[in-house]
Amino acid sequence: MEFITALTIGTLFGIGLFQILSRSIIRSLIGLIILANAVNLFLLSTGAYNGLVPAYTTAGGARSDALPQSLILTAIVISMGGTAFVLSMLYIISARYGTSDTEEINGLKN
Amino acid sequence: MINLSIPGSHLALLPVIIPLTGAMVALLFYGRTKVQGFWALGTMLTSLAASLVLLWTVQNGDGAVVFRSGGWTAPFGIVLVGDPLSTLFVVMSQLVIAMGILYANGSKDSVVSYPFFYPLFLTLAVGLTGAFLTGDLFNLFVFTELLVISGAALTASSDDRYGTEAAYKYFYISLMAATFLLLAVGSLYVSYGTLNLADLANRIASQSPGLLLLPGIAFMLASFMLKSAIVPFHFWQPDFHAAAPTAVSAMLSSVVVKLGVYGFLRMTSLLFVAQAPQIRTILLILGIVGIVFGGLSAIGTQNVKRMLAYSTLAQIGFILVGIGWGTPLAIAAALVFTFNHSLVKSAMLMLAGYVASRAPVKSAAFDVVTGVGKTLPLGGVLFFLGSLGLAGIPPTNGFISKALLFNSGIQSEHYLSLALIGLASILTLIYTMRAFQRIWWVVPEGGGKAKPGGDLLIAPGILIALVLIFGIWADPLVSFATEVSAWLADPSLYIQAMGLLPGG
Repeated sequence: MEFITALTIGTLFGIGLFQILSRSIIRSLIGLIILANAVNLFLLSTGAYNGLVPAYTTAGGARSDALPQSLILTAIVISMGGTAFVLSMLYIISARYGTSDTEEINGLKN
Repeated sequence: MINLSIPGSHLALLPVIIPLTGAMVALLFYGRTKVQGFWALGTMLTSLAASLVLLWTVQNGDGAVVFRSGGWTAPFGIVLVGDPLSTLFVVMSQLVIAMGILYANGSKDSVVSYPFFYPLFLTLAVGLTGAFLTGDLFNLFVFTELLVISGAALTASSDDRYGTEAAYKYFYISLMAATFLLLAVGSLYVSYGTLNLADLANRIASQSPGLLLLPGIAFMLASFMLKSAIVPFHFWQPDFHAAAPTAVSAMLSSVVVKLGVYGFLRMTSLLFVAQAPQIRTILLILGIVGIVFGGLSAIGTQNVKRMLAYSTLAQIGFILVGIGWGTPLAIAAALVFTFNHSLVKSAMLMLAGYVASRAPVKSAAFDVVTGVGKTLPLGGVLFFLGSLGLAGIPPTNGFISKALLFNSGIQSEHYLSLALIGLASILTLIYTMRAFQRIWWVVPEGGGKAKPGGDLLIAPGILIALVLIFGIWADPLVSFATEVSAWLADPSLYIQAMGLLPGG
């Protein structure tokens, strides 16, 4: 189980990083979302699969750690807000510059 | 001595909760920006008063003020800690942000009349203050994200037509920094099982190194380097400052970059004390590279605000050299430098914005503002005094901080790095005097004509006055910095203040 999770985290990280460097700004944003999901999965792997018993029950057995799960929830909500904000900025940028190519969104120079 | 009295402990919460409440109430004044402006100024001054009371309590109480949110004690709940280091940074940032709001009140930018400008400015203050005061690593991430989103939203609504592009780039890069911080949080949590700073420090010091300790240190280092715009990760800073609204860029280059400095101090003094020598060497090298690179790049720029952004790279380099040397006197020098740089840099950026607002076209590029200063004598005096402060010439506080830093270098016998930074600090004089000359001494062909009625000069005036006051009456700051440095040298004091036993 841990190996599959680790493999998934690595793959998502690689895909996300590759897409962030893409020439289209929407692809770049999707890469950022995938990267954030890779990090959330990493947080999940730090403790949520220590056991399969929920933290709030009194049943015996190895418990799954609830703290990383709450960290992930917070991170998901924050990245949702951030993504909404970036999308609105990208809309303004593409309307103002008339292009969605990152090479041409280069107004800030020396 | 632990301060456990409940009324006293709320003092650590006030600098965070007052601007937050102020931001929410400011939203109710939607559409009435004048009212919002006065309300924001009042809120920030109240919060500054609260942080000064916190500073006074910490200085007299000989310990830390700890606020336990929800009543949960240290390793289980989130704590806000007003210890000597955080109160110094909190007072510094609240003072500069209050001056920023004062400048925004008097500014003629159209972004200031945007209905969400002042609420976002106040949430910027909340994010920054909360990041300094928190005692929990994940809470640091949350406050940092608040800071970044507020700063990006303020920039995206800028007058400058490249503002949105600058905000987009800043936001992406800061999201990278947040991703690294999350990776560090995960690495440290899986290695040690806790995220409270004091508890983490205890476990790192007493247990054998966890599997992901070194990756955790590396990710944290990278995240703080991105936040502080330290040399390999500085690319967002100069572009950002060319396009952001003046009040915002004054905040970003002076106090928001100090978050990285605060992070490095916490890392080397509290969390990773065993690995501190290696971290300090890295910081020393980065500092020297930053000083040289920032100074040389600032000479080659074509825009006053961009020049000041590169200048921040150089000044943060000085602070890193102080932290890198690591002796108590060097760390005290770095703290004094941090405080003084915030005052000077925010004043200089506000003055650059003032000049840009009086120029024929609203821009801070050199070929637009050349000769504008002919009819702006007061701005010229303030800019000149600020340049002296940046270069470290008496009677400004820049002189006190540079003298302290060089003194600590001599005392700790780091002669090679001292020689390098001594040479590089001449560069500061070159680029600031070049800017002063081009704006105030050169007479252009058409005769320098400033547009009447630009931004007001009250806020930079107060800041430059503070620069001179702290240059002449430096004792309170220097003695407090020495106390903070002594506090930092012994991490068990911090751990005990949280109610935990050191070495547990």
